[in-house]
Amino acid sequence: MPKLIIDNIPVEVAEGTTVLEAAQSVDIPIPHFCWHPALGKAGACRVCAVKMLDGPVKGIQMSCMLPVMEEMVVSTTDPEAMAMRRSVIEWLMINHPHDCPVCDEGGECQLQDYTIAGGHGIRRYTGTKRTHVNQQLGPYIEHEMNRCIQCYRCVRFYQEYAGGTDFGVMGSAGRVYFGRFQDGPLESPFSGNLVDICPTGVFTDKTARFRARYWDYDMAPSICQECSLGCSITPVARYRELLKIIGRRNDAVNAWFICDRGRFSAATPVNNPLRPRTPRIEGREAGWDSALDAIVQRVSELLKNHGPGCIALVGSQRLSLEGMALLPELSTIMLADAPCYFCDERERVQTSAAVTGLTGAISASMADIRQADCIAIVDVDLMAEAPMMVLAVRQAWRSGAGVYSIGETVDLPCECTAVATLDDVPLATAQRPVIICGTSGFTTARQYVSLPMAKGEPVKISCILPGPNSFSAALFSHEHAAISLEQAISSGRIKGIIAVEADIPPELSADIPVIAALDWRNTDTVAAAQIILPTTAWAEMDGTCINNEGRAQHFRKTMNPGLPVHGLNPAGHPSHLHRTIPPGGDLRPAWQIIDELIVRMGGTRTTEQLNGKWEKLRHLDAEGDGLPIYEL
Amino acid sequence: MEQILFRHNRPGRSVSFAEYRSEGGFTALKTALKEMSTNEVQQSVIDSGLRGRGGAGFPTGKKWSFVPRNLPGPRWLICNCDEMEPGTYKDRILLEANPYSLVEGITLACYAIGVRHAFIFIRRGYEQAAINLRRAIAEANGAGFLGENILGSGFSCDIDVHVSAGRYICGEETALINALEGKRANPRAKPPFPAVKGLWGGPTVVNNVESLANIPYIISNGPEWFKATAATPEAAGMKLFCVSGHVVNPACFELPLGMPLGEIIEGPCGGMRQGSRFKACLPGGASTPYFTIEQWDVPMDFDPVAKAGSRLGTGGIVVFDQNTCMVAATLNLVRFYARESCGWCTPCREGLPFVVHLLEHIENGRGSEEHIDILREHVKHLNQAFCALAPGAMGPLDGLLQHFEDEVREHIATGKCPCRN
Repeated sequence: MPKLIIDNIPVEVAEGTTVLEAAQSVDIPIPHFCWHPALGKAGACRVCAVKMLDGPVKGIQMSCMLPVMEEMVVSTTDPEAMAMRRSVIEWLMINHPHDCPVCDEGGECQLQDYTIAGGHGIRRYTGTKRTHVNQQLGPYIEHEMNRCIQCYRCVRFYQEYAGGTDFGVMGSAGRVYFGRFQDGPLESPFSGNLVDICPTGVFTDKTARFRARYWDYDMAPSICQECSLGCSITPVARYRELLKIIGRRNDAVNAWFICDRGRFSAATPVNNPLRPRTPRIEGREAGWDSALDAIVQRVSELLKNHGPGCIALVGSQRLSLEGMALLPELSTIMLADAPCYFCDERERVQTSAAVTGLTGAISASMADIRQADCIAIVDVDLMAEAPMMVLAVRQAWRSGAGVYSIGETVDLPCECTAVATLDDVPLATAQRPVIICGTSGFTTARQYVSLPMAKGEPVKISCILPGPNSFSAALFSHEHAAISLEQAISSGRIKGIIAVEADIPPELSADIPVIAALDWRNTDTVAAAQIILPTTAWAEMDGTCINNEGRAQHFRKTMNPGLPVHGLNPAGHPSHLHRTIPPGGDLRPAWQIIDELIVRMGGTRTTEQLNGKWEKLRHLDAEGDGLPIYEL
Repeated sequence: MEQILFRHNRPGRSVSFAEYRSEGGFTALKTALKEMSTNEVQQSVIDSGLRGRGGAGFPTGKKWSFVPRNLPGPRWLICNCDEMEPGTYKDRILLEANPYSLVEGITLACYAIGVRHAFIFIRRGYEQAAINLRRAIAEANGAGFLGENILGSGFSCDIDVHVSAGRYICGEETALINALEGKRANPRAKPPFPAVKGLWGGPTVVNNVESLANIPYIISNGPEWFKATAATPEAAGMKLFCVSGHVVNPACFELPLGMPLGEIIEGPCGGMRQGSRFKACLPGGASTPYFTIEQWDVPMDFDPVAKAGSRLGTGGIVVFDQNTCMVAATLNLVRFYARESCGWCTPCREGLPFVVHLLEHIENGRGSEEHIDILREHVKHLNQAFCALAPGAMGPLDGLLQHFEDEVREHIATGKCPCRN
């Protein structure tokens, strides 16, 4: 571990670390544009100049290109280094437009920050600014090439990291252009990351353009709910509207990036003005008290007429851990069997088999995938079911891993050899082999964990699950020996269903006389229910979910619920209504409603949702890596 | 005067294969393959003191010695014929007159380094040179000097001519490698150096045409002989100097290294044109700081030229007379570099147009004192560019500010160019 001194601070970092990273490790920020932790060094922007005062290298050096060496003495504040950095900013500002007030990046722009920090204020270049023609890159990303500072991050991400082929760099000298050969939507399913990595406003999120400034954002660390991988995200909201989603770093899961599905499709249902926003009884709006009482009353009637076991409590694979944990208690108090966490019997069996078959030793994280040297993909369309896994597989392939597919052929942005069975994959001779499968392929994959290895670690498994919180659902289902709703209904005893954020197939609930639905989405179940209790969406509450690896992650409340101000009928102005809750905002987290029902059925109020073995998750750091539940 | 590379030259045409052979061509290859080990060939080149003729002047044999011997997989030799330095045309003259020395030199180099496959990276404009080379390679193949099992020695070697789309930056060896791989011609970060990780990740040596063409003569006549052909004891070998500008006889001459600048101009160049007085020259191509009359006696060899504040570079001497506006000349050169920037790093991509902008202002009589300070800042800060293009472009500007600051100030003070009517 080389020791060096940066700005009089002694630093000791691992071999191979750059001076820039070494400085960051002791909280000394060095300006940078082209360097990005996930993309590595490029040496293009030259703004990370530092002065080497002593040691093996002397003079002005680019800190992103220079690996640390013993006895280096670095100054980031030397006048020579600062003059160089100021020059770079001046050069970049020769052509960068002064359009910050009308630029969507304003306030969250690296160039803006460093221009101000670097002290360049007076323009000495008196010529005109270079201009480019912008391209239409599809419905999600706005292109404004005049703002480009040629850091090459976009093309390095798009082509090298994500394997995209329809976007690149053209031209030379001062005419370098980043775009497509012609206008057209970006083809990569990871194109949205251009917005995140562009240090200035060339690529901005078209879906949220001109809606808010950085300092007005409602933000919180959160977890994507679009698939079972549980990528870390930062949702951005303003005026009760979820505006956009930004990728958030989590080295154990998604690393730096997220997929376009997570980025661009999560906000619409949350913002939907027509989603359940008030309790309803038989289609009519009702107060919380009357709606809750109506459920209690109907449950009591059913119990009187049909006896115990006539109620089915239905959870789902998108319900948070807190809600799932309270359901069994409500079941008991309603004299019902264990809650149904799954509707479909096959899905329950397969998911439970996968989740109970996984252990901390064999469950592969996405970091494990990225570091694997042999990957077998068994019968799962990753691009459809877990897009970010594709990106992880590509990173492994870029580092030399062999990638093999069995069964369903998948279109991956890396070389992939199709083989007949897992026996044809050289798992036994690999150092860090991983099998990626769906729940249907888990049992087969599981047998390879005990494969005798020539010299490497035993095979690990990453099993893609059906929903964002399937892992928890399977755990509870297993713990309470629960059956699926399909099975429960086939017994003929079920007369009433309480669906908690559950998507019950209409044919399954067709003959059930009493249905109550707790949900924030407009589902078929909500449409069929006589009593509807609106719940908060994931962005409007704190909660916990467990991803496909078995990693419990906490998500925080980003915004207050309510109808987005954007789109409210202006005819109501001036408003004569004075209330404490915003319109459409009287929603409650599902677990709170369950708790309330428990109380009204004669039970005791819960003070903590996570008890017993879940207690450790109460104070899970939402900004951390999460916690594999195997460690509980 | 004895000639090395130009000894086979025929007036008005290129030498034929038979003529080259009859004058001792390919005997060096025969000797080397029969009597010398690969190490001996390399040692001869090291001992000869041959320094790279492409501009940087790095010892050729030493460059070869950086190639790791024990790495598995192929290693490569690339002959850099992307000659695009303004004022430099020696490789074209050489290849149009005689492509065989290069073919033989490449084969010898491949033998010394253990390369199976070499490439000649040649710029698009050099059509005749490319035709000559392809013909020479075919003839050498036919005669058994190339291809499988050369002269029964067990050593095999092939040469491919790659006509590049051509950019100035392709002369930078790592950008050249990228271009040869079909990528954008951006330079690569060093380390790793090409000798360790170059073309397709394999160890790669990139040598200039003239450097490689000298090898057969070093092998035939020995390193001591080669050294002795120079004009001074410190220098080694002959050098192609391509002279242009206000001299009577601008042409490419093969002259002993270390010959003083004045002697070159007064001798083979026939002196200055009628009515012209020597004002300045670029001693080694467009990226070298100017020499003035004060450097008239500097021996034209790598170290003495460097000591005098410039670089021998490619040996492309561009001579300016008293009527030349040095601001305009510098502007012309920097414009070339601004256009030829690959666009990778900020100082080069944005700094060079800034310099052009300032020089245009000064040349057009709209300059100010502050512009000189900004230009000096650029001379300093463009040295921090990613590769040597921008620092090279600052060579003439550095020379301008060192030797002709008065002329620059005159532009600013009088509000016009003093050399224009």
